[in-house]
Amino acid sequence: MFNALTPPQLLAGVGRVLRASADADGALEDYQRSQVLSAYSVTRLLAGELQGADALRAWTRAALLDALAGDGRPPAVAAREQLADPAVGGVRIGELVADLLAALPRAGADPVRDAVRAILRELADREQAALAAPLDGGAR
Amino acid sequence: MAAEAIAVDAAKAAALLETMRAAGAAESGSVVTYLEQLEGGWSRHSYAARVTHPDRGGAGDPDGERAYIVRARPRGSLLDTDLGEEFRVFSLLQRESPPTPAVRGFEPSEQTPFDGPFFVMDRLGGRAPNVWRRPERDELAADWASSRGIAHDLVAHLAAIHAIDAGRAAAAATARDFQRTVDRWQDVYEQMKLVRDPVVDEAYAWVRSREPDPVAPCLVHGDYRIGNCLIDGGRVSGILDWELCSFGDPRFDLGYMALDYHAGKFTTPGSSLLNAVAERDWFHERYALLSGRPVDPEVVRTFTALGALMLFAIMTTGIRVYADARTRDVRMAWGRFVLPGLRQDLTALMGW
Repeated sequence: MFNALTPPQLLAGVGRVLRASADADGALEDYQRSQVLSAYSVTRLLAGELQGADALRAWTRAALLDALAGDGRPPAVAAREQLADPAVGGVRIGELVADLLAALPRAGADPVRDAVRAILRELADREQAALAAPLDGGAR
Repeated sequence: MAAEAIAVDAAKAAALLETMRAAGAAESGSVVTYLEQLEGGWSRHSYAARVTHPDRGGAGDPDGERAYIVRARPRGSLLDTDLGEEFRVFSLLQRESPPTPAVRGFEPSEQTPFDGPFFVMDRLGGRAPNVWRRPERDELAADWASSRGIAHDLVAHLAAIHAIDAGRAAAAATARDFQRTVDRWQDVYEQMKLVRDPVVDEAYAWVRSREPDPVAPCLVHGDYRIGNCLIDGGRVSGILDWELCSFGDPRFDLGYMALDYHAGKFTTPGSSLLNAVAERDWFHERYALLSGRPVDPEVVRTFTALGALMLFAIMTTGIRVYADARTRDVRMAWGRFVLPGLRQDLTALMGW
């Protein structure tokens, strides 16, 4: 969700490795072979990420809106307003949650903070599961 | 089909021989017969080399051929770590019990055929386990279930590293206490990040809120895990990759090696053993016995989170360097997929 490097950037990098391998003279060095294997791994993981991305973003947005419902504090209201946009992206959600947690008081119990943390934990679990999930149309 | 030979790069070979000769580790008649860049290394590039030493040849080995590793810090490397310091630490370790390769010369110039400074060391026998491969985790588990030679060595060498004379260690490695270590990695992370991550922000605050009472500083490996050890005949034959070493809190090594990632977790769980090698309680009890330093699980938990944040900062640096087109090394982009697992570990460590 809060991931740098876009799919086009990643695919361009994989393509460069394929091209370099095709252009290599003679046997590949250990390092070059590791580049090819890493490129393969990128494609596999990216496919898993893309397969689960929409559902993950929708779940995160809905869970956060639910956690923030009824909280009238300005940081919560601001986050809720931004999350109301169904098209809000994963990186933007990360920024909103980071701003929210930074603004909420650290001292003492805060049910909203606890709820947001629980969402972040489940998000991490779900993101890992998406990366590990079998891919549509083929085995991993 | 016979494997094709890798051509030896003449400029690199000449630089290697010159550096070894300057250190008295090669002779005028020495020749580089093999030189290949190896897979490993994020901030360092490693090359395997073979060099003849005709003066040292004997029956069955007329060329006196020996195997070496060249460790170079190329321009634009992932972390701004000091290769000279790493060389000094390797030199310090020559007289200590943990097995480390002897060093055979250091070239500090930035202008070299290796694209930066480099040093040469012996190539030790053995193989570094890859805990992200199930068969290799199974091999380590089999050791634990039988002789425990690897487990005993891993803990004994760690205790021995932490027992090295503090004065000599302080002269070789940069001093970094808990606060400076947290500052260092948070600074790297803040400078390199391309996106904001609320889990990481919270984790730094959590770690800072749990600063442990200080203990006597010592040499800290900084990247201590079975993947940075060589295994030969069921024993640890070498401890490598001292790039992140410091003079600081020994509990960092204990915490860092306890990361689930280092037990083979990636998108699915790895070994249930600590670092895929030993049961956690056994390892900590054994370390306490050998080192005389008690192990507090809560302090280890703090350092495990700090270790995760260090890895996060390093991976984030790789992503930044890749995004800025300062490297074409696709492993830097691949590192992006390590971050969700580290984020998951951090949420668990913080008890969310």
